[in-house]
Amino acid sequence: MSDIILNVQQLHKDYVGEVNYKALKGIDFQLKRNEFVSVMGPSGSGKTTFLNCISTIDRPTNGSMTINQKDPYELNDEDLAKFRRSELGFVFQDFNLVHTLTVEENILLPLTLDAVNGKEMTSRLAEVVRFLGIEDIMKKRTFEISGGQKQRVAIARAVIHEPSLLLADEPTGNLDSKAANSVMTLFQSIHETFQTSLLMVTHDPYVASFAERVIFMQDGMLYNEIQKGDHKQQFYQEIVDTLTFLGGGYHEL
Amino acid sequence: MSFNHIVIQNIVRDKWTYISYFLSSVFSILVFFFFLIIAFHPMMDAIDTNSTLGIVMILCSMIVYIFSFVFIIYSMLAFLKKKTKSLGVFIISGASTKQVRKMVFRENMLIAFAAIITAIGVGLIVSPLFLMVVKNVLEAESFGMYVPVQAIAMTFILFSVLFFIVSQITTRFIKKEEAVQLLKADVTQEKLIRPTPWRLFLSILVSAVLLLPLKESPDVVESLGIVYIMMLFISLLMTIYIVLTQGILFTIRRLQKSASYYRKTNMLFVSNLQAKGNSHAHVIYLLSILLLAVFVTTSVLYSSYYNVEENTEAVYPYSFQYISHPNNPIEKEQQDIEFMETTLEQTEGDVDAYQSAFKTDEDRRIGFLSNTLFNALGTHEAIALSDNQYYVVAGNAGVMPNTDAIQDYVDDPLQYVGLEERMILVSGFRAVYYVIPDAIYDALNYPEYHVFAYELEEWTEKRDIAEKIESQLMTEPGERYVSSKISLYADELFVKRVIFFIGFMLSLIFLSAAMSILYFYLQTSLAGEKEKYLGMRKIGLSMKEMRVIVTRELSILIFVPFTIAAMLLFTVLFSIRDALSPAFFQMTTVGVGIILLLFTLSFFIIRKAYFKKLVA
Repeated sequence: MSDIILNVQQLHKDYVGEVNYKALKGIDFQLKRNEFVSVMGPSGSGKTTFLNCISTIDRPTNGSMTINQKDPYELNDEDLAKFRRSELGFVFQDFNLVHTLTVEENILLPLTLDAVNGKEMTSRLAEVVRFLGIEDIMKKRTFEISGGQKQRVAIARAVIHEPSLLLADEPTGNLDSKAANSVMTLFQSIHETFQTSLLMVTHDPYVASFAERVIFMQDGMLYNEIQKGDHKQQFYQEIVDTLTFLGGGYHEL
Repeated sequence: MSFNHIVIQNIVRDKWTYISYFLSSVFSILVFFFFLIIAFHPMMDAIDTNSTLGIVMILCSMIVYIFSFVFIIYSMLAFLKKKTKSLGVFIISGASTKQVRKMVFRENMLIAFAAIITAIGVGLIVSPLFLMVVKNVLEAESFGMYVPVQAIAMTFILFSVLFFIVSQITTRFIKKEEAVQLLKADVTQEKLIRPTPWRLFLSILVSAVLLLPLKESPDVVESLGIVYIMMLFISLLMTIYIVLTQGILFTIRRLQKSASYYRKTNMLFVSNLQAKGNSHAHVIYLLSILLLAVFVTTSVLYSSYYNVEENTEAVYPYSFQYISHPNNPIEKEQQDIEFMETTLEQTEGDVDAYQSAFKTDEDRRIGFLSNTLFNALGTHEAIALSDNQYYVVAGNAGVMPNTDAIQDYVDDPLQYVGLEERMILVSGFRAVYYVIPDAIYDALNYPEYHVFAYELEEWTEKRDIAEKIESQLMTEPGERYVSSKISLYADELFVKRVIFFIGFMLSLIFLSAAMSILYFYLQTSLAGEKEKYLGMRKIGLSMKEMRVIVTRELSILIFVPFTIAAMLLFTVLFSIRDALSPAFFQMTTVGVGIILLLFTLSFFIIRKAYFKKLVA
């Protein structure tokens, strides 16, 4: 088995419309197995587009991309859907929970679609729920729980089928700092416990500092990357410095 | 930027929200307009407003208008619901509720006038074609083109008033809190269906109690009259609603407990059904009732159309019947008969001629026939009476005659042997006929009427002969009475055709109303559904799985109402099966089958369009 889980080469994405816009201008990127990488960059730098191309939500205009040596863009719709729910896990800024389902049903959704048998479902559910500490809200509806709880449920759903790659798009964007902190701690322990590879888009340097490596994007290109050293505090400072250097459109700082 | 400018921009910039509302309004008006085009046709002046046809026309116009009223209110409310969120934006940016109401009112009136004018315009363009269809359907040559000034004026005035009232009413439904609430929360949860076993039990009980006298004691029904019918109607409508919602709840619970709940898309489908249980139930209910109305109108009106031949024969038993009054000079009678017989000789096919007579007590409108004279009227089975027996024949169709008045005319009491309910002569000519032994008849001292009757083969096709004879021989009271079932049949057939046509139009209205309700419902929920499926697609729901869920949901919305309506229809038909002919059942089944075909077809079209919009 290869050491590289995600391999992106010369990825281009153009939006054609009244105004043509090149969102991605050739990105080369590799994610190693069991690596945790954050993607940062100013608004409009193309980081979400990049993630969407990897998560097969958006189709790239040009370039190649393989996940586990498989090219998802060669699959038909049904196989692609299967691929998404077996190989990938998603965590979104807006949680993306199904409102008609209870918390428990939301978590089980990927398994029911794959028609996993009931016994395995129960055992996997129990494991994930214990890990995330959401036993008490299992029978609740999605609008009865807090934002932090919602994100935990979304994470539970993303990891219940043990994906090889977990993708997160601004997972703390809708959360207060306390909830954000606990969600990030969770990501870190999932990464350590389940050996999951993680790719996360964020604009928050504190959130980004949970990763092992941070890549910076600007104007649809990879600009820079920083490896985490021994100290998280130092890592955080480096991230902030890079962002300050990027400056310009980076309002969020 | 003036207030009216905002109103116009609201419509122009958001035309797709308005277009469905506009189209369903145009449709309602158009149907009503067409209806009036027929009703005000110069040809229709010939129809007496007090006749069955006149009353049916007036009644139907009223139904169409009331229905348009209800339907436009419904469309407007559905439209308003869709708009509530954008109204919230106005309210939050400082518009008072009064201003928002004024804005919505003006928008509505603007659309209303556009709809009225469009409908009349389209109506005028299509009306020649429409009148041509009417002409062919009714087989009435005189249904030509005309300028329907009255219809235009009436449509315009009535719908302006209607829209004015409806807009006034519906803007009252705009609630500030609700609109702002909608703006704040991205997910609003509609109320789930609650189990209401007592209400269910009570409603069924009340309906059952009300239904009972219908079968057991018709006199109670008659004494209560319209009140009873209204009560029964309302109670049935409520019962259907409660049974439907509780049935949906029960089905959801069953599905949730079933072992396959966690398999494939079942969970998504069932939970969606549960979350939208109430609004689904409303739509299914409305569609069921409308469909039932479609079934009943087509079925009932067809039945009236179907029995024309039988009904005609029941009142006018002969192709031609000539009754000669005792005062009619014998020469004239002979001359008339000769004319009739020579005319009839010219037709193809056999002509059976019968000759008979009866004596009558004019004061009591009682007729007497001898056994021989009765047997001479060939359409009935011959009887043989012994010296002291008599036989009774009804004189009015559908009325039980007095069976023993004959005793007043004879010395020794006679013995009653039987009753013929079918007419032997034109219905209503005499109240009752007594068939008595020849000897007793000869002894009776009452004036005698001569009867000449002719029966033609394939009489329904012999209209020209009937016209020829009737133009020469008309009834002259006190001398001769001429009647023909051929011309009665032709007249009746025309009336029934008009009624049938009206019924067809009514069912078309109901059917399209059902379709627009469905359309509105899907339109309103589209945005939310689209977002939901987009989210699920991201985490790995395939198009195929999505298609499965959408197909199941749409089939519930379309075929459940159909099944409910068909079941109710056939339950009703089965309970009155004795009064119906097997042919009627066959025709109803065919009719329901055609509608099923239409529904299946629209199901596939709707599914395709809806799916396309969902993934767009």
